[in-house]
Amino acid sequence: MNELVIGHALRDSVREVLEKMFFVQALEGSSAAELSASVPGAEIAVRLAFEGRPPGSLTLRVNTVAAREIAAGFLGQDEESVSDRQMADVVCELANMICGSLLSRVEGATAFQLEAPRIVPLPEDPGAGPAAISYATNLSRGALAVTVTIGMSPCPDLLPFAS
Amino acid sequence: MAYRVLIVDDSPAMRTFVRRVIQLSGFELSACFEASNGGEALDILRTEWVDAILTDINMPGMDGQEFLRRLSEDELLRTIPALVISTDATAHRIASMVSLGARGYITKPFLPEALRAELERTLGVPCE
Repeated sequence: MNELVIGHALRDSVREVLEKMFFVQALEGSSAAELSASVPGAEIAVRLAFEGRPPGSLTLRVNTVAAREIAAGFLGQDEESVSDRQMADVVCELANMICGSLLSRVEGATAFQLEAPRIVPLPEDPGAGPAAISYATNLSRGALAVTVTIGMSPCPDLLPFAS
Repeated sequence: MAYRVLIVDDSPAMRTFVRRVIQLSGFELSACFEASNGGEALDILRTEWVDAILTDINMPGMDGQEFLRRLSEDELLRTIPALVISTDATAHRIASMVSLGARGYITKPFLPEALRAELERTLGVPCE
């Protein structure tokens, strides 16, 4: 699969999801490589695997200040009232939407299935590995980085798909 | 007119978002029920009537496909219009859900206006 096509689809998916559903503007800023390597401040990371043609996984990293702002906007609450659980739930949903949007763009003719997104320990090097494609963007109060790994089987320690 | 709706999604955040969008779109809700999967939704429908169902597809336990299948098998429940809200925008999935009885389908991400328009179409009435 053409990595350039996937890269563009990933960028478009991240921007569209952030702007349409989370009312957040993806800002131009440092290069994707720089941002991907350094999301400022404390972070939260989410991973979900997917089955399709081909299968793979998506990892999203975002700093918690930005995550809380995103969650507040999504839920219609003040930032101070957003719990850690709510913040995690919203970031999981963000990753879910980005992944679904991406796969609908690049695997449009075939069926795919998403695993439930999970909060995971911060990856040591999210950009490493075969066929890893990343996109990172500045946000008003931090940064967000998304890495898609294509062509690898879902992680064996993840929960099985829902029936 | 005030509507009774059932929102089915395993994400509490998504259920909150959908409820907010419906309300902010001008639809008056007299009741808004929530369920985290199809099984919970069917439990609610045993005792509560709703004017519309908005359901995700990918949920643990009973997923959206099985949920729609169960609705279609019930003479009364199949009359409730169901609108699918999903990240899956593939033609294959949309066709599959429509064949199971979905009257509407909206893909994430969506603008609030798009959900309102799809709800209006699904319910067959314009918002006041």
